[in-house]
Amino acid sequence: VTPSDQERHLGGKIHPVAGTGLLAFPWTTTTKPYGSALVELARARPDVIALGADLTRQTETDLIRDELPGQFVTVGMAEQNLMGIASGLARTGRCVFVHTFGVFATRRPFEQVAMQVAYPGLDVKIVGFMPGLSSPGGPSHQAVDDVALMRVLPNMTVVDVADAIETSQAVALLAAREGPCYLRLKRGEVPVLFDRSHRLAIPTAQWLLDGGEVAVLASGMLVATAVLAAQVLGDAGLRVSVVNVPTLKPIDAAAVLEAAARSAALVTAENHSVIGGLGSAVAEVLAEAGSGTPLRRIGIRDAYAEASSASWLFRRYGLDVDTVIATAWSAAGRTGAPPTSADVPVDTGQYAPV
Amino acid sequence: LTGDRPAVLRGAVRPAPPEIAGPGPLPPTRNLEALAATGLAIRRHAVEMVAIAGMGYLGQATSSAELFSVLYRTVLRHGIDRFVLSPGHYAIAHYAAAVEAGLLDERALATYGADGGWLESIATEKTPLVSATCGALGQGLSVGTGLALADARAGEDRRTFVFASDGEMQEGQTWEAAMFAAHHRLRRLTAIVDCNGSQVDGPIATVTTIEPLVDKWRSFGWDVHEVDGHDALAILGALEAGDASDRPSALLARTTMLHGLPSMGATTDAHFVTLGPADVRRARADTAKPALAAAAASPRGPGARR
Repeated sequence: VTPSDQERHLGGKIHPVAGTGLLAFPWTTTTKPYGSALVELARARPDVIALGADLTRQTETDLIRDELPGQFVTVGMAEQNLMGIASGLARTGRCVFVHTFGVFATRRPFEQVAMQVAYPGLDVKIVGFMPGLSSPGGPSHQAVDDVALMRVLPNMTVVDVADAIETSQAVALLAAREGPCYLRLKRGEVPVLFDRSHRLAIPTAQWLLDGGEVAVLASGMLVATAVLAAQVLGDAGLRVSVVNVPTLKPIDAAAVLEAAARSAALVTAENHSVIGGLGSAVAEVLAEAGSGTPLRRIGIRDAYAEASSASWLFRRYGLDVDTVIATAWSAAGRTGAPPTSADVPVDTGQYAPV
Repeated sequence: LTGDRPAVLRGAVRPAPPEIAGPGPLPPTRNLEALAATGLAIRRHAVEMVAIAGMGYLGQATSSAELFSVLYRTVLRHGIDRFVLSPGHYAIAHYAAAVEAGLLDERALATYGADGGWLESIATEKTPLVSATCGALGQGLSVGTGLALADARAGEDRRTFVFASDGEMQEGQTWEAAMFAAHHRLRRLTAIVDCNGSQVDGPIATVTTIEPLVDKWRSFGWDVHEVDGHDALAILGALEAGDASDRPSALLARTTMLHGLPSMGATTDAHFVTLGPADVRRARADTAKPALAAAAASPRGPGARR
């Protein structure tokens, strides 16, 4: 897809940056991009070992379990022990990938991650599935604070990717990056926002859409949301930039400040608490640099949610396209009712952000 | 691997930096007199280390002196076997025993607890001559399990010894690790538990009992050896028998806080001991080399605080 194709698809009102590989909406989905990439990595690197804690299929590690059983160990429901074992394996020089849901990878074994993984700076890659409100399982299963918990730990790299292409590439990138990492992954059907020319880089933020009055800095599942919001806003005459920020720590401060310098206002969008995640990281950069660019943060506003569907929760907690639209509209100083995404057509099988 | 990060082990344990390294490991001994002398020396060193600040983890060193003596002088193959010090508070005993094993320069002990020094009072990622350690209790057995799992999968001839304390058995993670190690039959993994019956709030039996410990470990699938933790011969026998088992082994060593310091009296309230000048004098007399141990000290107990 060339930028000109892209512009045509997107209605001509948004301005994709050349070379990002951003595909036109509507997007497709795929399954197990992570599990496949992990098998590929482990085949090439015998020092890679995968650990799980009773969520093997759910974390796509049934693939490595079945194909490379010598490089997979399930620990059972014992996440504190899981992190200790990962530490022991990593101390012998192995590159250890640890898998469970985001809540169980961060909240329950926080001290074990801090003392036995982050502090020694070991090659342990913690992969937490079901970010934020993508889980219908209620507060026990909704990782709304995992980025904050991992971001506060010295040595820890924190990554929240936007789609299946980035997921695949993140596996090799994290394996090549020495030291502890936390990778946040959507479970189940994963959108494909980019073609294969896309290149994820850590810790680089990437401009997807440029030239806007307002810049939306988005991470993870909210990247698709921000792009779709930009399309609707473009049709309504408000040009919006979208910056994909896959690495929450270390934050790409130069990209944040560039966005602040080139925009009248910034909006952050994350499937996480506004405390401690992308919104906080951006605010810290802006404040320390003395930037006066106004900032609005989209995310979960200091709340525990319910056990309900993701689409209901994303609307209720303001993680949806229309909230991004309304926030950017207001941040740009537009008056009157903002446009809505209600008219965007989506077919079955296509991925549409809420 | 670059080997730049000290946490990644190139050998069995993290090496001692040259400025505090000892002359090299002494040949292993089964001589009970030598082991007893080592136990006494560990106590002597510990008294001097605690005397620096007038307070510290003396009770841990004295309850575990025979365990460290047998482990470092006889059973642990230096350079081959791994050692995890789960309760970082026992660093004092580890340093003293490492000196007696020839691994650490005795002069370094004078820097115990010194700001910015190598010999921190609670072990850290800097601590020499361990494979891993924890200040936060209850984590060591899991890390040792990971090390033993790595060695088992690689077919390496290494034992992994995890030194633990009985108070740590209150942490649920201990039992997560015990379950996993038995399930995977990690037979080269040995837990050495200093059962001194003490925790910060007082005797374990009065806080939340952990007994029956032997039954607990056995029911988790471990090869269990309960011994008098001040009997070097019994410790040696148990550690050797543990390696012959097809399961992970646990040495439950029944010990006494401040054992070998008769002038201090028997107490389980010795997690963190205050040692005034008079206490130091009496403790020195208690731990002097036999030929010098003429002067007996009065049996007044130390103040204890944490």
